[in-house]
Amino acid sequence: MRFNMFRYLVKEGYRSLRKNLFMSAASILVLVCCLLITGCAYLVFENVNHGFEWAYQQNIVVAYSQKGSTSEQNTAIQTAIGGMDNVSEVIFESKEALLERYSAEFGELLDDLKEDNPLQDAFIVRLKDLSLFDATVTAIEAVEGVDSVDYNADLSAMLVKIRDVVLHIGAWIILLLLLVSLFIIANTIKLTVYTRRLEIHIMRSVGATAWFIRFPFMIEGALLGTTAGTLAYGLVFGVYQVVCHYFPKTAMFQLISFADVWFTLLIGFLAGGMVVGLLGSTISTGRYLKEQTE
Amino acid sequence: MIEFRGVHKRYDTGIEALKGVDIKIDAGEFVFIVGASGAGKSTFLKLITREEVANSGEVIVSNFKLSKLKKRQIPYLRRSMGIVFQDFRLIDTMTVYDNVAFAMRVVGASQKDIRKRIPYVLGLVGLQNKSKAYPMELSGGEQQRVGLARALVNNPSMIVADEPTGNIDPDMSYEIMELLTEINRRGTTVIIVTHERDLVKAFQRRVIEIRDGLVVSDTKDEEVASYEI
Repeated sequence: MRFNMFRYLVKEGYRSLRKNLFMSAASILVLVCCLLITGCAYLVFENVNHGFEWAYQQNIVVAYSQKGSTSEQNTAIQTAIGGMDNVSEVIFESKEALLERYSAEFGELLDDLKEDNPLQDAFIVRLKDLSLFDATVTAIEAVEGVDSVDYNADLSAMLVKIRDVVLHIGAWIILLLLLVSLFIIANTIKLTVYTRRLEIHIMRSVGATAWFIRFPFMIEGALLGTTAGTLAYGLVFGVYQVVCHYFPKTAMFQLISFADVWFTLLIGFLAGGMVVGLLGSTISTGRYLKEQTE
Repeated sequence: MIEFRGVHKRYDTGIEALKGVDIKIDAGEFVFIVGASGAGKSTFLKLITREEVANSGEVIVSNFKLSKLKKRQIPYLRRSMGIVFQDFRLIDTMTVYDNVAFAMRVVGASQKDIRKRIPYVLGLVGLQNKSKAYPMELSGGEQQRVGLARALVNNPSMIVADEPTGNIDPDMSYEIMELLTEINRRGTTVIIVTHERDLVKAFQRRVIEIRDGLVVSDTKDEEVASYEI
């Protein structure tokens, strides 16, 4: 395609958008709403995920070495557990350090234990993926020199389940809203195609190719999509700033900063808007041209 | 140039528009296709422009065998012809110049070629002074001249006109026919579908009559004076 023809087609797409300004504005508005909800769903999902990351950090497994283990044996245990694929961190805490920590909490009550410390050397283990919790615990229990393992299997199972549900709901909401957006764009372009049917008929009669006829509509769809994407991005930013301002900050949980997701959201909105626009217009014009040739 | 060999066309509604039509039109001819409403004239044109496909038989246009023509080849077939419509089909929001230029743009002509060609074609149809006018500011005859200019602008080897004088007054009709005759004199094949007996008689050209989907007569130029539609 020559540059002047490309320029002409882009101009035609823009002209069509302006010519059907009311319809274009209406579909941009509805699209902005869809993308706004999609963006909010994404941010909720990201924050929930962030929350679970914090919860994962709290969900630790404690492995105890057998009584009377030497420092060499403890080092071997730490190396064995630390080498497991699903283990992110292993912290060794000697029975003396444990007693000291408990003494700091309970005071003189534990003074009698200092002479004959009944506690065991411990390994605080953090896992990477809680869905592999059971298999990892079994592997830790099998490490030579490990006496017992303390963990909260119910909590980890519940966290995995909640995260999966949130992930699935979020993905379905986003998919559904993208389909709604696609439907809106396809119908807007369908109306534009209908209002320009005379031009299309003339184009066809003088020998325009299907791509030549489609291209301005694709440009129009892409412009609709990206305009809606840009507006929705601005709105999501504004809404999120307000939510962050009023959301209580606690030591346990804080909302993620917009700076962490701005790029993903921007690309998502622009690319999403453009793809939905292109796809919607391709579907509409394709159907129309097919009807005309059959 | 155009050949119909035993062409049958039946629509999904069951109407049999053409029932075994054999016609041959050579390059450079000027032909009237006549017949009553529903006789099959429009179907004949639609088969030439490949808006419709024959159920059986073969249609050959400008060396394209239309039964074997792929969808992506249709635009190239249509570039070999200029189509003139009864209702002009001009875009109201475009000037005369842009209406004609539109036909060049869609086939990928450069801006330079468009600037050079449009004044020439508008001069050919006598509208050189109306290039900035909008269709609504023109008479019916002038609008049809714009339609003719648009059909001619890509230099097709044939002009296919569907009732080109159907929406204009008799004086203007003669002017349009004179223009088509002049275009034909320069070597372009002209095929006109019409039901205007006076025009057909006045211009003394080949006349093909279609009735109930069949070619019932094919008279040559010299025979047409006594022809009755």
